[in-house]
Amino acid sequence: MATVSTAAVPAFARAAAAQAGASQTVSNPRAPVDATLTINGRDHVLAFDVRTSLLDLLREHLGLTGSKKGCDHGQCGACTVLLDGRRILSCLTLAIAAQGRDITTIEGLAANGQLHPMQQAFIDNDGFQCGYCTPGQIMSAVACVHENHANTDDEIREYMSGNLCRCAAYPNIVAAVKQARPLMQTASRD
Amino acid sequence: MASAAAPSPKANMGAPAPRYDARLKVTGEARYPADVAVANPAFAVLVTSSIAKGRIERLDLDQARAVPGVLDILTYENTGELKPAKFGQGSSTSIQDLGPDIFQDGQIIAVVLADTFEAATEAAQSVKATYAAQAPSATFGSQGLNSEDAAKVSQQHEHLPEAGDAETAIGGADVTIDGHYGTPTQHHNPIELFATTCEWTADRLTVYEPSQFVYGLRNGVAQRLGIAPEKVRVASHYVGGAFGSKGTMTPRTAMIALAAKRLNRPVKLVATRDQGFTIATYRAETRHHIRLGARRDGKLVGYAHEGWEISSRSDPYVVAGVEDSAQLYAFGAVKTKVNVVHADRNTPGYMRSPPVVPYIFALESAMDEMAEKLGMDPIEFRRVNDTMTSPIENKPYSSRSLMACYDRAAEAFGWKRRNRLPGSMRDGEWLVGYGCATAVYPTHIGPAAARVRLMPNGDVRVQIAAHEIGNGVYTVLGQMAAERLGVGLSSVKVEVGDTRLPPAPVAGGSNTTASSCSAVLKTCDAIRAKLFHASVTANDGPLAGRNVEELTLTDGKVAASDGTGENLADVFKRLGMSTIEEYSEFVPDGLEPDAVADLYAGKLTMTGGPHGKKVMYAMGAELVEVHVHSQTCEIRVPRIVGAFAAGRLMNTRTVHSQYMGGMIWGISSALHEATEIDTRYARYVNDNLADYMVPVNADVKDVQVILVPEVDHDVNPAGVKGLGELANVGTAAAVANAVYHATGKRIHQLPIRIEKLL
Repeated sequence: MATVSTAAVPAFARAAAAQAGASQTVSNPRAPVDATLTINGRDHVLAFDVRTSLLDLLREHLGLTGSKKGCDHGQCGACTVLLDGRRILSCLTLAIAAQGRDITTIEGLAANGQLHPMQQAFIDNDGFQCGYCTPGQIMSAVACVHENHANTDDEIREYMSGNLCRCAAYPNIVAAVKQARPLMQTASRD
Repeated sequence: MASAAAPSPKANMGAPAPRYDARLKVTGEARYPADVAVANPAFAVLVTSSIAKGRIERLDLDQARAVPGVLDILTYENTGELKPAKFGQGSSTSIQDLGPDIFQDGQIIAVVLADTFEAATEAAQSVKATYAAQAPSATFGSQGLNSEDAAKVSQQHEHLPEAGDAETAIGGADVTIDGHYGTPTQHHNPIELFATTCEWTADRLTVYEPSQFVYGLRNGVAQRLGIAPEKVRVASHYVGGAFGSKGTMTPRTAMIALAAKRLNRPVKLVATRDQGFTIATYRAETRHHIRLGARRDGKLVGYAHEGWEISSRSDPYVVAGVEDSAQLYAFGAVKTKVNVVHADRNTPGYMRSPPVVPYIFALESAMDEMAEKLGMDPIEFRRVNDTMTSPIENKPYSSRSLMACYDRAAEAFGWKRRNRLPGSMRDGEWLVGYGCATAVYPTHIGPAAARVRLMPNGDVRVQIAAHEIGNGVYTVLGQMAAERLGVGLSSVKVEVGDTRLPPAPVAGGSNTTASSCSAVLKTCDAIRAKLFHASVTANDGPLAGRNVEELTLTDGKVAASDGTGENLADVFKRLGMSTIEEYSEFVPDGLEPDAVADLYAGKLTMTGGPHGKKVMYAMGAELVEVHVHSQTCEIRVPRIVGAFAAGRLMNTRTVHSQYMGGMIWGISSALHEATEIDTRYARYVNDNLADYMVPVNADVKDVQVILVPEVDHDVNPAGVKGLGELANVGTAAAVANAVYHATGKRIHQLPIRIEKLL
């Protein structure tokens, strides 16, 4: 195995710190908490068990099932979403800690029915087989380009190594990131 | 868009059409079974045993029941109505009960149901079990194992291959090899977890569960619940990786169905990653003893192979890969035996690629050793023993392109740069090794039924309960229908993975494309026949009186060879029909006529491989370069080249991905993967994706796939051999042989990790 420093790390500690000043006090830890979450540009007013992970909230409360559960332990990357543009593992992020942040999921990537260049690149390069890890791969890949971690094949391999693909589409994923990278850079200059 | 992922088709290869389901998969809209919304579900969390052998003395549920939101807890005390299921009849295991007897570590002992996943998880952690535990037998070398001859206890393997007198042949050979080999425990670890959602509507049950065999699961669950199979629907429209792990019914499904019935509410289960190691199947560890005898000129004269495979205490699961390894070369005399070794473990099951992976690792390692001892190039040694006739019963091969694969791969790889002397090639501090091995997979085929509908505007709907596990079945079935009905792929709608559709075999043994495409082909041809008949029998039509033999169906037209044609819409008008829908059943040669009826009942028979008048195999050659660091012994695989021939290829894109992924699986088998067992407790230790080593992107460098054209009219009407399981057969041996070439060290026990080279 390669030694891999995944760029997708839990952000709840940071988010929780941001929340520290909030007025909400929890006396019964099992009582639902109220929160407003901004997901794919839309505010959702919600009440949920404070222990709910962002992944379970997306999937079980909002029907946003594009983000996948592959381990629930931050080991596979299938649940990767963007929090304020930064990739995080939604299974290791408490939903409540994502309050006040911009959450982007795979469902929010295509704009007006137009696929994101990374989505199109995954299709063109057959960057998947079963497709289960794909939403996480694509979210990670988008962030990988934004982080400027997609300059060489080796760099892409390293910074995409937090997302497991058991079908082993890895070389095609590298090709997809390479295809999308200049298109994303053009788009961001426009 | 052209790319390395979409090779240009050569002879007998279909276009690299992008996947039918590609857009759904890149947008997150593809609904895998755990994604399907049901109204007001309860959430299930499993509790599993912490001993491998013994009995539950007491289950304390008070604390669990006190968790707010808990609705019910299933245990052995309230699940007696579930009927037993036996291994070998569509069930993965005979270990079905929640206790009180415990037969394996991680056996399900309770199912906790609550309003939320969080409450169910909390309550599950509060279930307290007290056991009377006994010392379990864990694996090879443990006390208390019992071993049986597979031919006596496994109906599938009553007749293992034998030819001539192998003892005498090997005893009298000029050169002999006598080696022991071993492969480790492995778990499939698809990224999709083992999930089940059950929903009752009155007395009808719907099961949403990722499955490689929806009809098998439907009938299995119905049997356990004691209801008619017609009352059960299984839906599995997308499977998030399977690799064999989702081919048979596991105990959880009936439990979740019962829970939903008791609660009168849909129930959702997503088992945890670690539970997946014990509530489903895995590839058990194997041992092998191989003896080869050859003449000085390299001609083999004898092959003896005895295998030992771990299984559960209750079930005689074996893969018995000698059935296929014994066909591979002109061995002369052959002697084989397989032993089932029973331990206190969960029952193993099919894992990409049964049955051959462990057996071919052993054989192809031994072949390399023999070539070395003979002083021959390993590819030339295989050429000397190449054959168009199996040594078993002298059956002819339907087709065989092994040496063509070797030649193509060797050229692309630069094999001739190889210096035969081990340890002779270097790249700075790295020792360089080149190794090769043969990939081989039996061509399986099963019965299947399909329904196809054609509309006057050229719209087509294909319905068949095949399974999309990443194999590209939506795409290739769509391509087959588009080709036969003369429409564009975008006009074809494909529905799979649902018992509302006509049945197809398990997505296993690489039979899907052969079986399902043959059924779709037959059904489309029935539609063609109807259209052609209408065109030629019309009094006033442009094709009146023509011979149907000269007609084709292309671009929405029935056309003759001279260009005369008639639009589909006109033919439909003539028929007085607004749709044509045909249903047909395909039964391959060698199977009973009622094979499709059996399939409806969840019973599958398959043929092919060594079983017909001709032996049928897909083959390939894999050449690997390894680098072993001279100081640290770190092992790297900078490149691998695989050339494969598998009859007709439906889609070079999906084929390329299957081969590429397969070779990466093989590298992983060689260097990384093993489930570690704590032998004191017969327990899996590294039961998570951080500790169970699967390849990550950074592990994989240059993987080159070469598609070798091959035509085979004997295998099945579609001419398809099947290939999803081909490419990771032999890879581990190729890597091991390359490691030997780099270092001079033969590693007979996988995986090959640094410590074995130090």
